[in-house]
Amino acid sequence: MVPWPLYLAWKQLFPSGKKVSFFSLLSIVGVALGVNVMIVVIAFMQGFQQKFRKDIINAQGHARVVPLKPYADWSEIPARLRHAENVEGVTPYLQAQLLLQSGDYHAIPFCMGLQPEDGDEVLPVDDFLEEGMLRLQAHDAEDVTPLPTMEMLEDDVVFLSSQTANRLGVRPAAVVQVYEGNASLPESTGKRSVKVARLDPYVESGEWELLFEDQESCLVREAISGDEFTWETGEGPLDMGFGYPVFELSGGGKPFVAGDRFLFQVFKANKIEIFSPSMIEQAKADELIPPREVRVGGIFEVPWQGFQMEALIGTMRLMADMRAQESACDGFYLKFSGPVARDEAKLQAKCRELELVLEEDWAVVPWFVENAWFFELLKFEEYLMVLIMIPIGLVAAFAIAIALMTTVLRKIREIGLLVAMGGSRFSVGMVFCLQGFVIGSIGAILGCGLAILFIRYREVIMTFIVERIAGSDGQAGVAQFYDFHSLDVPFPWESSESLSTFLSFALFSVLVSTVAGLLPAWRATRLNPADALRSE
Amino acid sequence: MSEGNENLVLEAKGLSKSFRLGDGSIRVLADADIRLEEASSLSIQGSSGCGKTTLLNLLARLEKADEGKVSWDGYEMEASSSPSSRESVMRADFLGVVYQAYYLIPELNVLENILMAARLSAGANRESMDRARSLLSRMGVSDKERQIPTKLSGGERQRVAIARALINNPRVLLADEPTGNLDERTGGQVMDLLLATCNEEKTGLILVTHNPSFAEAADSRVFLKEGKLSSRWEPEAEETKANDEDN
Repeated sequence: MVPWPLYLAWKQLFPSGKKVSFFSLLSIVGVALGVNVMIVVIAFMQGFQQKFRKDIINAQGHARVVPLKPYADWSEIPARLRHAENVEGVTPYLQAQLLLQSGDYHAIPFCMGLQPEDGDEVLPVDDFLEEGMLRLQAHDAEDVTPLPTMEMLEDDVVFLSSQTANRLGVRPAAVVQVYEGNASLPESTGKRSVKVARLDPYVESGEWELLFEDQESCLVREAISGDEFTWETGEGPLDMGFGYPVFELSGGGKPFVAGDRFLFQVFKANKIEIFSPSMIEQAKADELIPPREVRVGGIFEVPWQGFQMEALIGTMRLMADMRAQESACDGFYLKFSGPVARDEAKLQAKCRELELVLEEDWAVVPWFVENAWFFELLKFEEYLMVLIMIPIGLVAAFAIAIALMTTVLRKIREIGLLVAMGGSRFSVGMVFCLQGFVIGSIGAILGCGLAILFIRYREVIMTFIVERIAGSDGQAGVAQFYDFHSLDVPFPWESSESLSTFLSFALFSVLVSTVAGLLPAWRATRLNPADALRSE
Repeated sequence: MSEGNENLVLEAKGLSKSFRLGDGSIRVLADADIRLEEASSLSIQGSSGCGKTTLLNLLARLEKADEGKVSWDGYEMEASSSPSSRESVMRADFLGVVYQAYYLIPELNVLENILMAARLSAGANRESMDRARSLLSRMGVSDKERQIPTKLSGGERQRVAIARALINNPRVLLADEPTGNLDERTGGQVMDLLLATCNEEKTGLILVTHNPSFAEAADSRVFLKEGKLSSRWEPEAEETKANDEDN
C-alpha cells in the first residue's frame, strides 16, 4: 500500500481531473533539462577522452619500450616480448634528426624509422596513409591513385605528413583516369572497366592508353616512351615490371568490345633530398657529401593531435644509415590484447612484468604515463565542467524550493486539516519533501532519456547547431577540432563509465530536489494546526 | 474511563485558555467542563469570537490549553501538554471533523477526498471504498464521486466533508459551523443529514452553531459566554424563559 504522504504528494503534483499541473511540468522539465545537459556534457568529455585514448594508442601503441642504456643489444628483445602473454605486436623504431630539402624548400620533421615487414600490427600506418590521401581534382578526369600501403616503404621511399609535404611542395606518384574522346566512361555506366591496381613510387610520368581489340585482348601503349604491351585479360592483371603501373580488370557488367579505350595519366613521385646533422657538419668543413635522395611514397595524417605535425616515416635502415649507426634501435612500440589492452591498471602491471622480463636494460612505459599531462588536462576540464554545471542543478533546486514553499503557504489550511484528521506533523511535512523527491525522480528519468536521445542523434543535432553557428563552410573547420561524428559516446548499457555518469547525475538531481523540499517540509511541520485552520 | 459513567466518550475538565494580546492576555475559556455520552449530541452556542472554535480545537487536541484535562474514550490527557504521536494515531479513528469552509483537497476528486481520511487511519482498502460509496449515497452525492471539489456546490461540498468525517467510524464528530456557508434551506438539509447519520452510526456529535434551531435539535445545549460555559441548557427552562419574555 502506498504511504499516504507519497500518495498525496503525487496527487498534488498530478491532480485528479487534470493531466499535469503547470508547476509540476515546469519543475520536472527544469530538472530534466539540467540532468540532460550535465550528462551530455560529461558524456561528450568522456567521448573525447576515449577518442584521444584510441588515437594515442593508434599513434604509439599501448606502451613503449625504451632503452636505459644507449644502444643496448636489441636483436632478441622482440622475440622475448612476443613470447609474453597478451603481447599482440612489437614494432622496433629508430628516430633521427634530418633536414629535408626539395628545391628551395626545407623542413626538419620528426623522423621515425620502422621495419616494413612489421606491417601495421602496432601502428596502423596504412590507415594514416588513407587519412592523408589527397586526390587530384580535374575536369573530365578522376584521380584513381591506389592507396599507398606500408608494403611500399623501402629504403629510398619515405612517407611524409601532410604538413611536411605541403611545406616542401611534394607529393607521391598519382594516376588519373581521363574521360575524353571515346575513352570509356566510369563503371557507373554498367560496363566493365580497368583500374590501376598498384603504382609503385618509382613509376615514371606517362600517358597510358589501353585499347581493347576484342573481348579479352588489349593493346597497352605509353605515349611518351612509345612502350607497347599486349594484355590478355584472361591471364590476370597486367604487371609490366618495376616502375610501371599495374592494371587489372574492375567490376562486372557488360563485356569489353573492340574499340573500348581507357586513358590514364601517370605523375611520378617527387624526390626529396635528406641531410643528416653529420652531413651538414661535413658540408661546413667543405667536404662534398651528396645528400640522400628518396621518393615520396605517400602522405599520411595521424589523428592524434599530440603527434608531431611535421613528420616523416622511413625504414629503420634509412635512419640507421643517416645516423651512421648500424643496427641501432631507439625502442619498441607494443600492442596488447585482451584485458591488458582495456584496463589501465592491468596494463601498468603488465609493463612492470615486462620490465622484469627484460631485466634492467629497458623501461616499459604505458601510453597513459607518457601522455599523463594531456589526460590530467582533460580530467581537469571534466572536473571544471562538473563544477560549472552543479549550479545548474542548484538553480533548479532553488526554483523547486521556492515553488514548494509557495505551495505550503497556499495550503496552510489543508495542512491544519491533515493534522486534524490524524496525520502526524512529520508525515504532513513529508508530503512536501516527497514532492521534491518525485519531481527529482521523474526529472532524472526524463533527463536520462533526453541524454540517450541526444547521444543517439548527436550527429544530426550537432550538425544542425554547428551549421546555425558556423555555417556550412565552417562545419569542416569545427569538425577538424570537435569531431562529433567519430566521437565514441557510449550508452549507459555499453560502458560502466557511462552508466556511472548517468546514475551519478540522476542521483544528484533526486537528492538536490529532495533537499529542496526539506525547507517547505520543515515549514509545514512547524505550523500549529489550529492556527493553520484559522488562517485566511 | 471516568468514574460513574461508562458511556462517556469525550470529557473535558477545567479547560482554560487565554491568548496573549500585546502586553496582556485575553481569557477565552475559564474552567470549562464538557461531557459527551456515546451516540449523543451536544450543541455549543455563542457569539462570534467567544471561543467556540478554540474549545473544539482543545477537545481535538489541536491546540494546547493553559490547564485542564481532556479524555477520549477514557484515555486522559493533560490539555496543557503537546499532543503525542499516539494521540495523532488515536485522533484519526476517534474523531471526525467538519468545518464551515469544508477544506476539501482540491487535487483529489470526491471519492479520493473521502478515502484520504481512511488513508490517514488504517489505509484505503476495498472495505473503506465500499463504505465511502455508501456514505456518498446516504449524503445524496453518489453521482459526484469522480468530480473535483471545485465543480461542486457548497451543499454538496459539505455533504462530502461529512462523509469524509464519518469514513473511519469515529466515536465523536466535531462540527464547527457546518452550515455557516450555506443558505437556510441547504443548511437545514445538511444539518438533518448530519444529525440523522450520527444517530444511525451511533457517533457522538459536538456541534458549534449560531443557529438556535439547529442547536435545539441536539440532545443537549451549552452556551459559551465570556469564557464560561453555562450549565446544560434544559429545553424546559428555555421555554419558560421564552414565555417569561413574552409576558
